[in-house]
Amino acid sequence: MPNGWDDEQLLEALGEAIRARQAVPSWFVATGKNAYAWHNIDAELAQLTYDSQADTEELALVRSETASIRALTFTSAHLSLELEVGKDALFVQVMPPQAGILETHTKAGTTTSPGDESGYFAVQPIPDSQFRLRFHTTGGTDVVTGWITL
Amino acid sequence: MRDDPTVVALVTRAAAGDQGAWDEIVDRYAPLVWSICTGFRMSNHDIEDVAQNVWLLLVGQLGTLREPAALPGWLATTTRRECLRVVTAARKSERLGTELDEAAQFVSDAVVDEEILAAERNAALRAAFADLPPRCQQLLSMLLSDPPRSYGTISATLDIPIGSIGPQRARCLERMRKSSALAGLVEVGVNFPGGDRSA
Repeated sequence: MPNGWDDEQLLEALGEAIRARQAVPSWFVATGKNAYAWHNIDAELAQLTYDSQADTEELALVRSETASIRALTFTSAHLSLELEVGKDALFVQVMPPQAGILETHTKAGTTTSPGDESGYFAVQPIPDSQFRLRFHTTGGTDVVTGWITL
Repeated sequence: MRDDPTVVALVTRAAAGDQGAWDEIVDRYAPLVWSICTGFRMSNHDIEDVAQNVWLLLVGQLGTLREPAALPGWLATTTRRECLRVVTAARKSERLGTELDEAAQFVSDAVVDEEILAAERNAALRAAFADLPPRCQQLLSMLLSDPPRSYGTISATLDIPIGSIGPQRARCLERMRKSSALAGLVEVGVNFPGGDRSA
């Protein structure tokens, strides 16, 4: 216990504590602090339930070249978001189809994408770093995906 | 003087919307999360994924955390689980064997406990250090620097006679020992790293 430690032991323990803190990169700490932006955002989490890339990697063994479009699905208890990665845009279809607002959250900030009444959105440009999609409606539906990297 | 930085108080304040309290929680426990991540052989990119998920999960649970005092244990368990998830996914996509290092996959409770105790001990020591007067912080930092500074250099830099470095060191450490930040450790019976040499 600290009260029982002699000076050498206390100094050695302090050195260890300071080195443990110094070993942590600042980006790592920043990642943790930035997570607080999600405090009080009461959105339901949608989990990745399908990723076409996971399949194509298996198929690549037999098919040398595939021109398939990357598709991902995120599912929550109430709805799912179906993503298709196009050439210069990420297309998102909300299932079941419904109008609402689609936000793209990156570390740099939040953007809103235009969409139609059936819940089809085009996110442009395709985020080149980690992002999350959040879909919410005036009716109280609020769903957010985990972090995505394409 | 800062508030007594007990975990319970920090969690309560962060749950109530205090970003400063959240930052303090992250500062306090980032070394624990980091050291667990580095135990798995992951890229920085994967480590960032893990960190994002771990802290995000915590943000979502701030209001419902039943025992805020058990936070370090929760963080250790959650970090390890997220690391395993990321490492397993990476191995699968590389079509390598999915066998993980036994050391990484099966960690005994004793190891986990030691990890958490060390994190608590380190956090308390850093808090006690931060409460010291700047002169003491400078002196102890110089004594701890690697490579070590000579008493001559310390004397010249801090403008104190060589003969008083020893007594000042003792006074600073005594002050640290009495810090309220270290008081909590007495209760949980944290021992000196590497065994109890203080008995």
